[in-house]
Amino acid sequence: MLLAHQIAMTNPEMVLAEGVSAQEFMDLSATYGISSVPDTVINGKGRVIGAVPENNLIQEIKRLMGA
Amino acid sequence: MAYQRILNDDVLNQVKDIFKQLTNEVKVILFVSASAEEVSGITQQLLGEVCGASDKIHLEVFDVVNDNAIAKQYKVSGKAPAIVVAAKDGDVITDYGIRFLGVPSGHEFGTLIQDIVMVSSRESGLSEAAKTYIKSLASPLHLEVFVTPG
Repeated sequence: MLLAHQIAMTNPEMVLAEGVSAQEFMDLSATYGISSVPDTVINGKGRVIGAVPENNLIQEIKRLMGA
Repeated sequence: MAYQRILNDDVLNQVKDIFKQLTNEVKVILFVSASAEEVSGITQQLLGEVCGASDKIHLEVFDVVNDNAIAKQYKVSGKAPAIVVAAKDGDVITDYGIRFLGVPSGHEFGTLIQDIVMVSSRESGLSEAAKTYIKSLASPLHLEVFVTPG
């Protein structure tokens, strides 16, 4: 979650990073079929499961949004 | 009923120690809701104890329904408890896009503390390459990180 917040802080006009408690927001979790955590959903489409290093998350964001 | 703290003395003293390094001021905004009364109450108490550990942190609480214009401004409409960690420079609040939805307990409590320290430093700590890329984004990026408390 901290990594996502670091990304948001870098460009807050473009980025919103929400840490979501899966148990308290069950409807939202169900929408995405969350089964294991941490699970990072990117623009409602991309997924990165697990706590990954900065480069891994950035690469997945680039893949979805264009480098 | 006597007030019972959520944070024990050990944890509170550790948090106070960590917050001694805070330089710039931080605004923590909490949105609560009657429809999530218990978790909203727990979150409000927890944030009260955390924010009370430093005079550089300022907590403000809104109701996500009654203050829906403010909730919309911070993009947390209909979500409670929702936490915003923002920068405060005098009367100017800078939203860094940082949100928690739910009670920040367990591992996420540590993340909350780290977020406060990070925002106070006004430095994200990302690598220069990542910063360059993220600053170049031409369309919105929404990250939702699902976690389990505890």
